[in-house]
Amino acid sequence: MKKKLIAAMLSCAVVLGITGFTVSAEEKTFVYGTTGYSEEMGDAGLNPHDNYSGWSALRYGVGETLFKYNDNMEVEPWLATEYEFVDDNTVKITLREGVQFSSGRTMDAQAVKECLEDLIAVHDRAPSDLKIESIEAEGLTLTIHTAEPCPAIINYLGDPYGAIIDMEYGIQGEGGSANVAGTGPYVATEVTPTQITLVKNENYWGGEVKVDNVIVKSFSDAGSLCASLQTGDIQGTYGLQYDNYPLFENNPDYTINSMPTSRCFFGQFNMDSEIMQDINVRKAIEMGIDKESFCTVLANGRCVPAVGVFPGSFSYGNDAVTAPSYDPEGAKALLEEAGWTDTDGDGYVDKDGQKLTIRWLTYPTRLEQPLLATYAQDTLKQIGIEVDINNTSDHRTYAADGAFDLYVSSTTTAPTGDPEYFFTSTVVGAKNYGNYQNDEVTALVEELHQTFDKEKRGELAIELQQKILDDCSFFFVAHLNMGIVTKSNVSGMAAHPCDYYEITADLDIQ
Amino acid sequence: MIEEKQITVRKQKIRRNHMKAKLIFFVVLTMLLILTALFARAVCPYDPYEQNLLIAQKPPCPEHLFGTDRYGRDMLSRVLVGSTTSIFSTLLLVAIITILGTGIGIACAWKGGIIDTVLMRISDLFLAFPGLVFALAVAGVLGGGVHNAIIALAVIGWPKFARLARGLTLTQKNAPYMMAAKLSGSSTPKLLLKHVLPNIAGPVLVTSVLDIGTMMMELAGLSFLGLGVKPPMAEWGSMINEGRNMLQTAPWMVLAPGAAIFVTVMIFNLLGDTLRDYMDPKQRNK
Repeated sequence: MKKKLIAAMLSCAVVLGITGFTVSAEEKTFVYGTTGYSEEMGDAGLNPHDNYSGWSALRYGVGETLFKYNDNMEVEPWLATEYEFVDDNTVKITLREGVQFSSGRTMDAQAVKECLEDLIAVHDRAPSDLKIESIEAEGLTLTIHTAEPCPAIINYLGDPYGAIIDMEYGIQGEGGSANVAGTGPYVATEVTPTQITLVKNENYWGGEVKVDNVIVKSFSDAGSLCASLQTGDIQGTYGLQYDNYPLFENNPDYTINSMPTSRCFFGQFNMDSEIMQDINVRKAIEMGIDKESFCTVLANGRCVPAVGVFPGSFSYGNDAVTAPSYDPEGAKALLEEAGWTDTDGDGYVDKDGQKLTIRWLTYPTRLEQPLLATYAQDTLKQIGIEVDINNTSDHRTYAADGAFDLYVSSTTTAPTGDPEYFFTSTVVGAKNYGNYQNDEVTALVEELHQTFDKEKRGELAIELQQKILDDCSFFFVAHLNMGIVTKSNVSGMAAHPCDYYEITADLDIQ
Repeated sequence: MIEEKQITVRKQKIRRNHMKAKLIFFVVLTMLLILTALFARAVCPYDPYEQNLLIAQKPPCPEHLFGTDRYGRDMLSRVLVGSTTSIFSTLLLVAIITILGTGIGIACAWKGGIIDTVLMRISDLFLAFPGLVFALAVAGVLGGGVHNAIIALAVIGWPKFARLARGLTLTQKNAPYMMAAKLSGSSTPKLLLKHVLPNIAGPVLVTSVLDIGTMMMELAGLSFLGLGVKPPMAEWGSMINEGRNMLQTAPWMVLAPGAAIFVTVMIFNLLGDTLRDYMDPKQRNK
């Protein structure tokens, strides 16, 4: 009898143990590997008011903006419910009711005002984009007065730097370790420059969050990222190298979600470099690179050849403009016309005893860029141009110092679904590392900045693109199809054309 | 008794002949490697730098025995041309550290005193650092490029030879024949060149040959980490790095240069071992 009792007790203990185990096993944890989170990229940490860290706040479900972009890159309300332009310099925004920060504070116009005021006080790009002069807060109504007409202000408020955070809670930690209290489906419990640990926001205004814990891990090595997905250390990836896609394609254990984006691989010529001041040389370089082959072979068909700044999905995108196409013979003729010929028979053209060597600056974290550099090294050699590649993580220093002839980088050219950003930031703004100057272009950018009519903005975007293409000051190689690869039991995680929203409340693990 | 001695002598002779044949075999293999490296451009079937995306990532086939890389470049040609950089850079590196280290070692032993103390403490300092980590730091400061990689490895490689040469020179310095030479009025350069150097050359040479394999691996290691040659130059370490992300989809991109390193290092190591056995009198009389 005693033995039976002990046996029964043991059985109960086992059953309870198993039940207990099952309860804890039901807690869902998602581990996400990405090459898109690093100090080198300027997006480490979650403080949206610091450099590009807002991207991380938005990507990993911590922060949300007043407006968001749909799959057609059109602006939709998010933390706001509606907006109205009272006059050219005033916009009235109504906020969503019942939204709470993860700190427990209720989001109202005053909280948003404090956040936006800090943003324009400390951020590098936001003040010139938003042109905010003053903000009034009353209940759930926010009134923004701009110093000058700012037609794209609603688009800019959807930029990741516009993620709304509780300034009373403040910024905990610095730089790559900064944590904030946002309104998103997840709350960060630990932030480092290489990893973010998230737990679900129990009070999320947008409904139930399905996954309890999320760990975002930064990877700098594509091989490790791929191997980690295969071994099951991570369940989803962003930034998988193209060469590794065949391992996951047609594999029932994995799901690949791909979406064309406005992320563009492009080069800017250094107009202060003596060699690059000759338009024929710049044009010859453009004509010497076969974008089509790069996209189909080296990028494994996951890039689309670019003509202009924006992809074909925009009305003012690829097809609306023209650029020099791949023509090695034409490129050689141009070089000859500019006085560059191969006099010493070494295979490279020269002039006045100087070989035509261009310093190609790029960086390794965007894995396609070193591939493009090595590929261009060969194709440009065929037209007699020597390419000296500087593939360095310290590219910003070299770019700022003008230590390059051609700087190849990548950027999301229409992150706000509007054409203005690229021109204000890269053509006439702080990222114009090539020091390109054209008064006509500057005037057109200013006109674009003042224009409210969408159709007219599109026309101006086309005109501006054509001008910089005709000047051969920039050249655009490819637009990226962004890909997210997950285990097949993961759902609710999809690539988005703006490259922002990755982890959302929809994320689930079956 | 006499018969036994005769058998032993015969056995020694056979062993010595066998060792000689072994040495010749490895010398021939080494010469073959060096000749391949020397005439690589002439013997490679395709231009190792010419890209052709139409045949990118082609597996080994009769036209491309080692397959092609992601740019459509012939891997066999790249491995052959890569041998020039890999082998000659290593030989240059080993020559530098042998000459530098031996010179310092002889100077220390001969002069003694403060020079010996200072230089030996410096060598202790370098020996205390983990080799490749220190080389990484040096190469990192100097920047990429095969020349800087050689300098980086030379900085950490010389103390071994300095210590060896110092010990050997000290033994020779106090030998009776050296006293006789000194008494007969030989000058210091004559003593060093005619008496010390020939007597320490054997062990130094053997160590030097044995070091080739290690240095080749370390040089390839630096190249693998991006501190060696610059693209598109073919070098085995950097080729492995280029292909490592495609190990699962195009394994030949890693296997071809990997096998080349393996075979070359093995040949140099076996040559060093055989040379040591051949020159070692104890081994000879066994």
